[in-house]
Amino acid sequence: MRDLIIFLILIALGFTAGTITEKRHYRSIRKREKELLHLPAVTIRKVEYPDEIITSAQLVYGNAVISTDYFKKFLAGLRTIFGGAVKSYESLIDRARREAVLRMKEMAPDASVIVNVRVETSTIGLRANRKSVGCLEAIAYGTALTLDR
Amino acid sequence: MKYTARQPEKNVNVTPSSPIQEFYILTAGILGIIIGIYLILGFAVDLIVPHISPDFENRMATHFLRSVSNDDAGNDPCSYVQSLVDTMQEHCAQLPYRFTVHVRNDPAINALAFPGGHIIVYTGLLEKVTSENELAFVLAHEMGHYAHRDHLRGVGRAFVFMTISALLFGPDNSVSTLLAQSLNITKLSFSRTQEYHADEFAVHTLNCTYGHAAGAVDFFEKIPQAHEPGKFGHYFASHPENRLRISRINEIIDTEGLKRRTRTPLGITPSSDSDGVGAPRDPLGHHPGVSINGTSIITTRTDSGRNLFNVTTRNVETR
Repeated sequence: MRDLIIFLILIALGFTAGTITEKRHYRSIRKREKELLHLPAVTIRKVEYPDEIITSAQLVYGNAVISTDYFKKFLAGLRTIFGGAVKSYESLIDRARREAVLRMKEMAPDASVIVNVRVETSTIGLRANRKSVGCLEAIAYGTALTLDR
Repeated sequence: MKYTARQPEKNVNVTPSSPIQEFYILTAGILGIIIGIYLILGFAVDLIVPHISPDFENRMATHFLRSVSNDDAGNDPCSYVQSLVDTMQEHCAQLPYRFTVHVRNDPAINALAFPGGHIIVYTGLLEKVTSENELAFVLAHEMGHYAHRDHLRGVGRAFVFMTISALLFGPDNSVSTLLAQSLNITKLSFSRTQEYHADEFAVHTLNCTYGHAAGAVDFFEKIPQAHEPGKFGHYFASHPENRLRISRINEIIDTEGLKRRTRTPLGITPSSDSDGVGAPRDPLGHHPGVSINGTSIITTRTDSGRNLFNVTTRNVETR
């Protein structure tokens, strides 16, 4: 019984804290995305610019680690039985990737464009202790070009 | 046409849905499955139990044992009770088990049959018995439960249940943990018929071991009417009424013409805290006074259930 109470408290805590954190994070993401709209990040590998107008080309990257919460984890656990979209993890991946891209852009505030952008995802924090709550890591990297126009 | 960068109006990567609603639907689905399995198992246990080999039982029993063996009351009473069981098994009750006796510091007057031949004897019981025959009868009664596989029938449903949920969700999932906790609802109870048969087995074993059947009813006669019933564990609560049992045992002795001779004195002296006041609390956290109807075995089972689930393979999120 005591364990059940602890479990329910963890679920409630996970839900409340998780929701608050997520809302705040999304507000921050949208705000910063708006500020960085002037800097496009594209996936093309080759550019048509003549060499003389490219003043610098540099590797930029940003990564973010976002942790799941107890509630999301439990919901995902239930999902593994019935199948279907694991909606509780969707926002997690979305946040991690957007945060990573944002940080990448913030690394090159003066660039004109970031080309050859790649976004990769991996999980961390699951190996050492299997009981721990898993974390999601997203890394975004690309080549920042500064153009002299 | 000029491209103007702007933010997308809605997030296509996150499904707009209420997590709370999803939580309720999924939990309801799980509960439905659990109840379904539980009902089916209720019918299936009696079919399954005769097919579980003692060897398989022994292997599964390690999970149960982990939570029990750490509170043994010491070697002295333990080895005495163990030798008593060994003698009976060697000469009279040849069961396909290797019985291990665990004496447990607990004022509850009770003995329990755990899967895998682990007999738990509470110190409260050792303090109450006055002759070796009396103690032998109680032990033989537990062995009778093994002979008829009653202990598996009692635990069986929860046991199979735990295994199934571990298979379904993975052993270290929070869902499994919740399941293990909800297993509290099951109860270990022996039916009257099972108790009668165990008594019958015990009388025969007692007679075979000592050459007479004196002391068989001593223990039951000792249970005073007004005594706090919970203290007597399943010998009082889930077992048929005392008078009925005493007369039934006497009936067996009389009809089969078994003799009653002098009782063998007890080979151990009761420990000091015989009133149970200074006795330590059960490490599993329940008060000894409320171990009615084998509650102790239930608590232990829940604990061992957790142990079972802690045997991890991999987590859901591990890729």
